[in-house]
Amino acid sequence: MSAGVTVFRCKGCGIKVFPQRLLCPSCHGAEFDAAQVHEGVIEEIAVIRHMIGQENWRPRCIANVRTKDGPMLTVGLRDEAGEGATIELFEEEGAPFGRSKN
Amino acid sequence: MHQAAIIGVGQSAYTRRPASGQSTHTFIRDAVVAALRDAAIDARDVQGMAVASFSLAPDTAVDLAWKLGLSLRWLLQDTNGGSSAMNMLGHALRGVESGAADIILVIGGDATGLAGYGKIAANYNIATRDHLAPLGHGGPNGVYALVASRQMRKYGLAKSDYGHIAVAQRAWAAKNPFAVYRVPLSMEEYLEAPMVADPLSRYDCVPVVAGAQAIVIARPDRAPRGRAAVCVRAHRTSFNYDNQAGDGLQTGISTFASEFWQSAGVAPRDIDVASVYDDYPSMVLAQLDDLGLIPDHDLARFCRRDIGEARRPINTWGGMLSAGQPGGPAGGLNAISEAVLQLQGRAGERQVANARLAVATGYGMTMYRYGGTAAAAILERGE
Repeated sequence: MSAGVTVFRCKGCGIKVFPQRLLCPSCHGAEFDAAQVHEGVIEEIAVIRHMIGQENWRPRCIANVRTKDGPMLTVGLRDEAGEGATIELFEEEGAPFGRSKN
Repeated sequence: MHQAAIIGVGQSAYTRRPASGQSTHTFIRDAVVAALRDAAIDARDVQGMAVASFSLAPDTAVDLAWKLGLSLRWLLQDTNGGSSAMNMLGHALRGVESGAADIILVIGGDATGLAGYGKIAANYNIATRDHLAPLGHGGPNGVYALVASRQMRKYGLAKSDYGHIAVAQRAWAAKNPFAVYRVPLSMEEYLEAPMVADPLSRYDCVPVVAGAQAIVIARPDRAPRGRAAVCVRAHRTSFNYDNQAGDGLQTGISTFASEFWQSAGVAPRDIDVASVYDDYPSMVLAQLDDLGLIPDHDLARFCRRDIGEARRPINTWGGMLSAGQPGGPAGGLNAISEAVLQLQGRAGERQVANARLAVATGYGMTMYRYGGTAAAAILERGE
């Protein structure tokens, strides 16, 4: 696990995107810097109660998260944070997760 | 330039669980045989073929042509999921119009099984594999649960508003012998169904089935004697319309709707029957709204009045929600096929009286936060 989620900042126009692109969707520049976003606000939550093709599935939550000056992320929620809450973001093997701020 | 039209449609049986010996290929064979029979076309006269399938691999289109015994001069394999059917229709029309091929088969079919579908859903693209599947996102159900929550909040929708779509489509499916779910569904049953991915419950989520569809494109005068061909007044597509930077409550249809109607020379009020890609009720509403078919963008009123009171014939074969989704490509082809049957007066018990104009859509490829492809066509009964 690592703190923050890596997003990609276009060196040409500064827009941040996630996931990584080949060209910037705004200016079509080809160079990006990696940047970290550490928190975001939950806009919607979905409780995943069933996974097709899998048995013994344990319900879990995903959330749509608005990051400050950054892209919208879909994250796995690791606690009971609700819609409107500001959460801290972290990565596990390249995938974004979030939990309530301490 | 030649004219081009849809002259025949056909489908395989649909089933939730394929039997031993059934495969994507055998369902496709059954649909092709049915479509050629319907169009009264000899297989030896087919010069072109388009196919889309999530489960044809490792075979490709040319392998399918080989196994169907078709020697071709026009071939296409499409990868746009829920808008593949509409995309292939456009290419096939132009293929006939240009003289590249006289008769083109357009095919979609899948028999993934539930476990196979789960693998496809988790590996849909690199973004899904790397950034969504590790969350346990539930495949497209999870993605569209988030979209539905946004839509409910923005438009003041109640859960029962989606229910009107599911209930109405089930009533249509009761009249479709190919539909996998034909028992009438009540609003009470809809509301009491178990949650799958809140706020989506069982009847909001398209059931995966095995099956295939095919249509035949040719000059209108190749239609069977006594039957009107179905012509396409307008056809538009959209790919990656917003780089996934919006809210997903509009689809790519919004990028072309105005010019689409203008090109067709008709207006939304002229449409007699609509086939709208329905992997989820929320996306039916999004596409209808993009098309301008929802007055005042009042989605809730449209659900309660136009659909709840059966004022608008939408997805008259039951839609994928009740007939089943044999993969997005075949699901989209079923939407087109139903529009054709309605316009030809061949829809049996579900026939909409005097249907002359239909709109059909496709929507698909959930790239990260919602679908990135969309397409639409206005179909008209030829004279």
